[in-house]
Amino acid sequence: MTDGYILETQALALAYGGFRAVDGVDLKVREGTIHSVIGPNGAGKTSLFHCLTGGRRPTEGSILFAGEDITRRPAHRRIGIGMARSFQVTSLFQNLSVRENLRLAAQGRDGDRALTFWRSVAEGKAHLALADEVMERLNLTARAGVAAGDLSHGQQRVLEVGMALCGRPKMLLLDEPTSGMGIDDIPVMTGLISELGRDHTVMLIEHNMGIVMSISHTITVMSRGQILVEGKPDEVCADARVRAAYLGEAA
Amino acid sequence: MTAFLKSKGIFGGMTLAVAAILVLLPLLLPSATLASEILIFAMAALACNLLLGYGGLLSFGQGLFFGAGSYLASLAMIHGGFGLIPALLAAAVAGAVLATCVGWLSIRRAGIYFVMLTLAFSQMGYFLAYTLSKWTGGDNGLLDVPRPDLSLFGIRIADLSSAGAYYTLVAVLFFAVFVGARRVIDSPFGSTLVAIRENETRAAAIGFDTRHFKMLAFTLSGAVTALAGALYAMLINYVPLDNIAMSMSENIVIMTIIGGTGSLLGSLLGAGALVTLGDILSAMWPRWQMLLGLALILIVMFLRGGLWGGVEHALDRFLKIREKGNAP
Amino acid sequence: MLNLYLFQILNGLGLGMIYFLISVGLTIIFGLLNFVNFAHGGFFMLGAYFCYALLQATGQFWVALVAGPLAVGAMAWVAEKVLIRRAYHLPHTFHILITVGVALILQEACIIVWGPIGKSIPIPETLQGVVIMGKFAYPKYRLFLILFSAVIGFALWVLLERTRFGALVRAGSESTEMVSLLGADIYKLFSLTFALGVGLAGLAGVLSGPIRGAHPFMGPEVLGLAFVVVVIGGMGSFTGALVGGLIIGLVQSLMSSLWPEGASLMIYGAMAAVILLRPYGLFGRA
Repeated sequence: MTDGYILETQALALAYGGFRAVDGVDLKVREGTIHSVIGPNGAGKTSLFHCLTGGRRPTEGSILFAGEDITRRPAHRRIGIGMARSFQVTSLFQNLSVRENLRLAAQGRDGDRALTFWRSVAEGKAHLALADEVMERLNLTARAGVAAGDLSHGQQRVLEVGMALCGRPKMLLLDEPTSGMGIDDIPVMTGLISELGRDHTVMLIEHNMGIVMSISHTITVMSRGQILVEGKPDEVCADARVRAAYLGEAA
Repeated sequence: MTAFLKSKGIFGGMTLAVAAILVLLPLLLPSATLASEILIFAMAALACNLLLGYGGLLSFGQGLFFGAGSYLASLAMIHGGFGLIPALLAAAVAGAVLATCVGWLSIRRAGIYFVMLTLAFSQMGYFLAYTLSKWTGGDNGLLDVPRPDLSLFGIRIADLSSAGAYYTLVAVLFFAVFVGARRVIDSPFGSTLVAIRENETRAAAIGFDTRHFKMLAFTLSGAVTALAGALYAMLINYVPLDNIAMSMSENIVIMTIIGGTGSLLGSLLGAGALVTLGDILSAMWPRWQMLLGLALILIVMFLRGGLWGGVEHALDRFLKIREKGNAP
Repeated sequence: MLNLYLFQILNGLGLGMIYFLISVGLTIIFGLLNFVNFAHGGFFMLGAYFCYALLQATGQFWVALVAGPLAVGAMAWVAEKVLIRRAYHLPHTFHILITVGVALILQEACIIVWGPIGKSIPIPETLQGVVIMGKFAYPKYRLFLILFSAVIGFALWVLLERTRFGALVRAGSESTEMVSLLGADIYKLFSLTFALGVGLAGLAGVLSGPIRGAHPFMGPEVLGLAFVVVVIGGMGSFTGALVGGLIIGLVQSLMSSLWPEGASLMIYGAMAAVILLRPYGLFGRA
């Protein structure tokens, strides 16, 4: 590990034809911190996130995780090294129970070991135990048997984060975890994230600047595919360029 | 009743129901041969259901594995002097290998392309069988397929020449496949397969290499389908070219969907309904398949859960009505 | 010897154009409706039988050539209105089930009307005999088939690329909402496209009638071939259907002089090779 950074990108770029959605990003995430990436619409946050999680292959540059080059590693092989992600648009196993969703996520960490077709699911005690533990932590135990699709939207967003948590990650990558949440539910999520920040590195992509101010250690502001400003929340807040970028969007 | 059938234990609930059906089937039907035929196709439908109902993979090439099992077991017995058990095993292994290859090539595409690829590969098998007529008999079919005695390590256990004795063998194997399938569904593998059907992106995001799971599903499905094909060849002492034709793939898929996907009992129901109706109707009206076509359309319109879905629905309503009746 | 190859190449072109007509219909329907028509082979067969019946009734091939595909298209139009459209919102499994049902009904209906044994169809009188070009002689009807289907192919290209209907079909293949935005009746467009695609299969059936006859069990084989063409050429691509169709036609025709029993097998061999090298087909988009 280099200088306490768990995730590093070097000159990362993702181009769609002639359009460079991510344009030379050098991002460093320090281990054990909550690091937010914010920016107005079209700043390239989501494209950056896709590169980091393996959804898209970067056109240039590299990604290092815990010192290892993972630039070309497919999404399903990033869980094993300790990266787990959530989705901006809730992506659960809608017809399966909350407990089964989490159990599957726990089982996923062991990848191909789940190919054992002669065993019974009940033998995978570690997975069940982890699922129950996470369920408790998320306050979802009372809803264990309910199909994920039948949860309230706020609970689905929480379960979405829980799915990532079941991968026993070193680092959680959360894509707009509060997206679509009601104003009353947002504090639940920000509370959960800062709690998770105590024993994980958390990187979160967020559109709404207000949400990340109180919980982040570091904030990176992106604009037009590049890093505009990076620093502590109060520094970023005071920066004139950030205001201009956001105001530009509002205008 | 439905709760009983849905009970989790491998040997409880639904498995007991199946054991009872296996005993009653030859008594209720006009012949043990018809009962054997039903179970053989139910086995093939079960294997198709593992792919479709649990993995969400609609394979239109199951006839390839069925036919390959028929040919391989028959040729091994005719030319290789294989006994019953080695021939069945050889068929299952060959089916598994073949299905792994077809699966590997087909799962690179999703959705409807996947369906077309499986269909095209099964057509390839059909024309291969047609071309190798020296071995397969081509259009005339492979004649004089034996039905050896059941023996183990050179010790003769049973003579299977009577329809009843052969039914017993088929029923035992079907039961084994059924219990095995329940275990597979209840395994980490089976649960992952369902996860992939539900949401493949998420399944990959939580760490599963979905290709490996789909391939294994194919391997298992191919082995069971080929076993069914081998049993069918020994049942009718003959391998018609139709065994590997598109119509076979079509029939297996139809039985699976008519019975109801996602339920193993549904596959037995679907195969039972189709084989029995085919047997009765074809004697009355050679063009009975027209009714089958009509039935398919009606199922899409009115009974999308298949027969088993219909049964479940009816049972649930019946129980609700009774509960209301019992309430003070 | 060279003449033999030229002969087989021309045969392959003719066969390839037939395959093109079948699969371009399949592809257009799939592109716009996201619907796979498993009854496509059945409608091809119906085209061949209509060719036979109309020739019997009128003695005029030209009547069959015009009325046959129109009749098939009209039946498809009705089937779409009554049945098919009820399945659009369902998963692919049900698309397949409902069209397999239609295919079975067509097959059995043809057996009821025309019997279980196939019918051979005579080559129309005006197109009998051969065209002689120097030392080379080629059957008139086969030459007509190549030229006529090329004209149809061109007309289809003009229809898809140069008319409002074509623009709507292309727009709808990208997003059906766009068609509504353009102010067109999406259901009417669906019906017409389905009828057009199936009508093309019917036309292919009529055209191949005098060469291959009509047979109640030809549907599944033709459907399988159309899938191979689409797999090779790439789904939703006009060019793909043309190139895929011609490749398959040429492979089949050339192989039938080298290894007659294996000609059909080699088609699938060609497909497997393409799939290994290019999983999305020659002109398919990922």
